[in-house]
Amino acid sequence: MIRGGEMNEDAWLKIKWVKNVPNYLQLQSPHPPPAVGARRQSATYIPQAWGRPRDDVYGAYDPSYMQTNGPNQHTQSPIVTGTSVLGMKFKEGVVIAADNLASYGSLARFTDVKRLRTFAESSVVGFGGDVSDMQYLDRHLTELAIDEAYASSTTTNSAQPTLNARNLHKYLQKLLYRRRSKFDPLWNSLLVAGLDESGAPFLAAADLLGTAFSSPSLATGFGSMLAQPIMRRLVPDEASVASVTREQAVECVRECMKVLFYRDARSLDSYSLAIVTKDGVELHQNEKLENQSWAFADRIKGYGTQTV
Amino acid sequence: MTSIGTGYDLANSIFSPDGRNFQVEYAVKAVENGGTSVGIRCKDGVVLAVEKVITSKLLKPGANKRIATVDKNLGVVYSGMVPDGHHFVDRARDEARGWRETFKTPISTSDLASRMGGYLQAYTLYQSVRPFGITAIIGGFDSELETPVDGEVGSGPSVGAGGKVEGKHGGPGLYMIEPSGMYWGYYGAATGKGRQAAKAELEKLNLSENKLDLMQGIKEAARIIYVAQQDNKDKEFELEMSWISGADGPTKGRHMEVPKDLLEAAERLAKKAISEDDEEDEEDDDEKNDDKMEE
Amino acid sequence: MFRNNYDNDSVTLIFQVEYAAEAVKQGSVVVGIVSKTHAVLVAIKRNAEELSSYQKKLFAVDEHVGLAIAGLTSDARVLSNFMKQQCLSERLTFDRAMPLETLVSLISDKAQLNTQHYGKRPYGVGLLVAGVDDSGPHLFEFQPSGLTQEMLACAIGARSQMARTYLEKNLDKFPDCGRDELIRHGLRALKETLVQDRELTVENTSVGVVGPKEPGKRPLEAFKVHDGADVKDWINSIADDAEAGGDGMQVDE
Repeated sequence: MIRGGEMNEDAWLKIKWVKNVPNYLQLQSPHPPPAVGARRQSATYIPQAWGRPRDDVYGAYDPSYMQTNGPNQHTQSPIVTGTSVLGMKFKEGVVIAADNLASYGSLARFTDVKRLRTFAESSVVGFGGDVSDMQYLDRHLTELAIDEAYASSTTTNSAQPTLNARNLHKYLQKLLYRRRSKFDPLWNSLLVAGLDESGAPFLAAADLLGTAFSSPSLATGFGSMLAQPIMRRLVPDEASVASVTREQAVECVRECMKVLFYRDARSLDSYSLAIVTKDGVELHQNEKLENQSWAFADRIKGYGTQTV
Repeated sequence: MTSIGTGYDLANSIFSPDGRNFQVEYAVKAVENGGTSVGIRCKDGVVLAVEKVITSKLLKPGANKRIATVDKNLGVVYSGMVPDGHHFVDRARDEARGWRETFKTPISTSDLASRMGGYLQAYTLYQSVRPFGITAIIGGFDSELETPVDGEVGSGPSVGAGGKVEGKHGGPGLYMIEPSGMYWGYYGAATGKGRQAAKAELEKLNLSENKLDLMQGIKEAARIIYVAQQDNKDKEFELEMSWISGADGPTKGRHMEVPKDLLEAAERLAKKAISEDDEEDEEDDDEKNDDKMEE
Repeated sequence: MFRNNYDNDSVTLIFQVEYAAEAVKQGSVVVGIVSKTHAVLVAIKRNAEELSSYQKKLFAVDEHVGLAIAGLTSDARVLSNFMKQQCLSERLTFDRAMPLETLVSLISDKAQLNTQHYGKRPYGVGLLVAGVDDSGPHLFEFQPSGLTQEMLACAIGARSQMARTYLEKNLDKFPDCGRDELIRHGLRALKETLVQDRELTVENTSVGVVGPKEPGKRPLEAFKVHDGADVKDWINSIADDAEAGGDGMQVDE
């Protein structure tokens, strides 16, 4: 018997099946079941609350749960990554190399990713770190190169020089620093190779913090520990650059790529290598490591499943 | 123009009773006094040319370029008010940049023409602005190759579904946009002071047959500018030319200035062609005189 | 005074631009010349009354750029400050001197906008922008319409036609001039514009120059405005050649 718009207990018993509704579907309704033997007056008569999880089952709604207060979390770690980039100056230019692997954690996810990008046919940027941030920077640099070409092509005899490697490095450093200051860093460490305004070889690094430095030889990531000492044997200081030939530098960098493949578990035997001189950029994107020798592997002791 | 002085010509976006927007018509007048611009769509590319009138001896020769590049594969030339042309080019570059941001690929010639047509038309709609005092010619070459999207790394899966539709893609494009925002595609386009003579010459080239190649196009463009300039011979001018070919052509898909030696060769031929024309005219005159004498 | 009924309708902005161009002709004259190595600006300064100071005509924008103004000084300062900021930001983000053509096109675009939109007025000032960038020395003329043109030599302001005539006559000599010879050409051009009984003095003459310290080399001698006693020698040196005959004025004896 129904009186005054409310159900009495008898009426309620006839629709008993409601009790079998799964726990997670217990939503607040305009006509909630009254507790046995008591007439329940609750806030669920407020229309705004209809359709929401029942307070008496789940507790009051916690508004802090889905809030996005605080820093963005997704910018705080890289996802798909590239490993080391190597660079070395020689007498007439710079050689730069990076392997073609993009890792997803420890998974070798993409094996044909080109991490050396040319800028305005006169400089090369090598990217380590997050690959999607690298793509963002690459698109950004494409736009920059187009804008720069506008300025130089309208000048008499196209005399106006475009951005040289030093200008480009300064720009990227400022960009990276600006982004880290917004707590939204571009998760890369990069090398810029090319020539400066006087035509001298230029090589410099910049990372996700906006830190920048220059040296006759440079390496990012694992390379800074494994390859840098080897490269420094050939070019210990700026003065020694003048006595290093292109062949020596390329040979040294190739050797370093091999060492990195031996000892860096996130590396690959297929790599890219670019040589920048006043004649432009020579880019090889499908190099293979040659003459590998794993004889040393037997002598490694101290971890893994070895019994001796 | 019976409505002049009735007040309907004072403000932009006002129609006169006979259905005309005078401000736009005045903008067209500004164009009609500018140096002649010409665009030719050849079978393997596009040539743009402009007559730059030398207003002062003190101007630096060869500087003050009037043909501008948009993105890499598009060129713009215009007749009329130069600062307005600058504004036009800036906007075109912004459109090209925006297109790349959205689609990760260069804008096509026809899409740029459409965007710019819309932009110019908007400047005829409001009391608060005046229309552009230019007519612009946009030339471009849309890549016929399978081009990577910007920022692409690696080559993707070597097997599986592909997205490309079979058939021919890309090619040269030429469009002309008027102050009203109206634009059409052209085989050969001309605007500015000498447009009538230039159009007559363009028509003789039978461009719709698609036989003219870039090298011939350069010569014809130079000659047409010289022919169109005949009516004010006393004014000194400089010829500026640019071209765009496909990826396998001389400019490798980019919009570039015509190299100096080619430009000079084309100018020599143009001057020669014109002096020959003059001689013929004189001969014709002589013949007529002879006829008269005989009568 | 007013040409027609367009004058009161701001939408017909073109006439506004022509009037702004008149403002340029009210300003005192400035001259700019470039050689293969140097860029030079020279100017006549005016003083409002006997006891007041002389109006500044030349401004350094950056180490490698300077500008000369004719017209509304306050408008010029807006443009000059804008150019200074752009040059600084170029040095900060790219570590290079702002290319002149890029710099000039920035102000040209600002000025063009004022001619096409209601509620704005054109800048009432003409500029000569001179400097040396990586592609060499440049001189640009800027007009209120937003038209900027690269020149070999130029003069704007009151009675500047006389100076332009001088410049056209001597155009061939400029490319190979040294620093001081180029300045002297500038001063001679200025002199042409003077009315009877007026002459160049250390009070009313400004000279700005930028170019390499040593021929064909970097670094630059930064753009510097020379006033007062600094310009004395240059003024004297052209006074001499006028008296020595040449094509200057003959002095009655």
